[in-house]
Amino acid sequence: MGELTSYRLSDFILFSQTAYYRQFEFYNRDIWPLHGVAIVFALMVFYAVWKKPVWAGRGIALLLVVSWVWVALAFLYQRFYQIHVVADWYAFGFILQSGLIAWYGVIKNQFILFVASRLRVKIGSSLLFIALVFYPFIAILSGRSWMQFEMFALAPDPTALATLAVLIFYKVPIVLYAVPIIWTLLSVMTLFAL
Amino acid sequence: MNNQYNISRRRFLQGMALAVSGIIVPKFAQARTKAFITKSIPSTNEQVPVIGLGSSRTFNVGDDPLGLDNVAEVMRHFIKAGGKLIDSSPMYGSSQPAIGYGLKKLGSAKDVFSAEKVWSWNSGLGPEQMEQSRQYWGINSFDLMQVHNLVSWEDHLKTLNRMKQKGKLRYVGITTSHGRRHDELEEIMKTQPLDFVQFSYNIIDREVEQRLLPLARQRGIAVIINRPFQRGDLIDALEDKPLPKWAGTIDCNNWPQFLLKFVVSHPAVTCAIPATSQVKHVKENMMACFGPLPNKAMRMRMINYVEKII
Repeated sequence: MGELTSYRLSDFILFSQTAYYRQFEFYNRDIWPLHGVAIVFALMVFYAVWKKPVWAGRGIALLLVVSWVWVALAFLYQRFYQIHVVADWYAFGFILQSGLIAWYGVIKNQFILFVASRLRVKIGSSLLFIALVFYPFIAILSGRSWMQFEMFALAPDPTALATLAVLIFYKVPIVLYAVPIIWTLLSVMTLFAL
Repeated sequence: MNNQYNISRRRFLQGMALAVSGIIVPKFAQARTKAFITKSIPSTNEQVPVIGLGSSRTFNVGDDPLGLDNVAEVMRHFIKAGGKLIDSSPMYGSSQPAIGYGLKKLGSAKDVFSAEKVWSWNSGLGPEQMEQSRQYWGINSFDLMQVHNLVSWEDHLKTLNRMKQKGKLRYVGITTSHGRRHDELEEIMKTQPLDFVQFSYNIIDREVEQRLLPLARQRGIAVIINRPFQRGDLIDALEDKPLPKWAGTIDCNNWPQFLLKFVVSHPAVTCAIPATSQVKHVKENMMACFGPLPNKAMRMRMINYVEKII
């Protein structure tokens, strides 16, 4: 433990901020025009949360499963792993999360009970807005190339945030919060250390 | 009488020539004419420049063409300035293929002293990893292979020594950083045949002066120093502070040169490996290979000054 405390987070981040954001630029270029599909996913999540159709719980869960698997394989493993030697472990975590959502949300159909607490709705709505609408504009707003944008269902951060938002709307097993929260904390610390 | 006149005229002309050259020769050219500082690797007496090039973080650019060209440009200026030793590791993401790209682009594979690391908890995977690293670099064999961060060092050292005996590499070493596991490293240095050892040392973090550096000298082990700038933190802390005027007496025009000359002036240190992604910085760093190195008294003065202002 004494040895571990001699490390700082930045000691594990062996890439620069430039290299990190350039990964999104190349990724976006490589997967074009899949961004259209991501927009459809985002609209479906909005519709399901807002209108609460019969298929809402299972439908959102399915969208999340596809998103987490895609991000794990296409971004974390194929792209981020090039510059971050533990990104394959991150990918494993994302696959694990997709499995949990598939089990509870799709197979067991437990994304049913809509929690109407005012506070939860406010928090959930804000998070959802940030993840689905605001997040893609952060790159350009912070003076980076617009091609470095990050979208829900394609990039890890907005996908984790949107998932947390959805989980807040539904009464779900607490285990489903673990990976998105861990990822969000890891990501915040990484961005801080860069 | 006539002879005296001739001598004084000759001296006068020599004096004039020196004075004129002092005025018209630009400062950088003067530095170039000063001796290029190298130190010998104790096990062979092979000379290496006191400034090498690290690749952690700075060369990890993925497949970004701009990033790769920038790495090649940094390497070009490093080699042009006389640099030789480039250090990398499988832990540094895409730094190895980036170095390979640079070497291929510059056609400089034979000009560098290649220092790599093996980094695997499963020592059985070591040979495969080293072969992958060699392919990334695009070279026939490594000059130096080091066990990274003491990971599975017993088995890896056996493998490396076998490779050295077969002529597949020239030197064997072991590394740590951030001041970690020094007791274990000390034991390894005492008991294992090593050509090189690598650890962190800078004007603030000087713990290694107590045991590791004297031991390296005693055992005839070359020393590579990582984190000479505390990964840039020292530069950040000092950049707004005034460089002392007396730094000029050891030909230091900026803080990186000041910090590097402090590190490489320790008698046991063979070279330092600052990492950078900027051509301007690699040029600055390489200027620490010229001019006088501080003596013991000057090193104390440097420490006192930095500790006072930081």
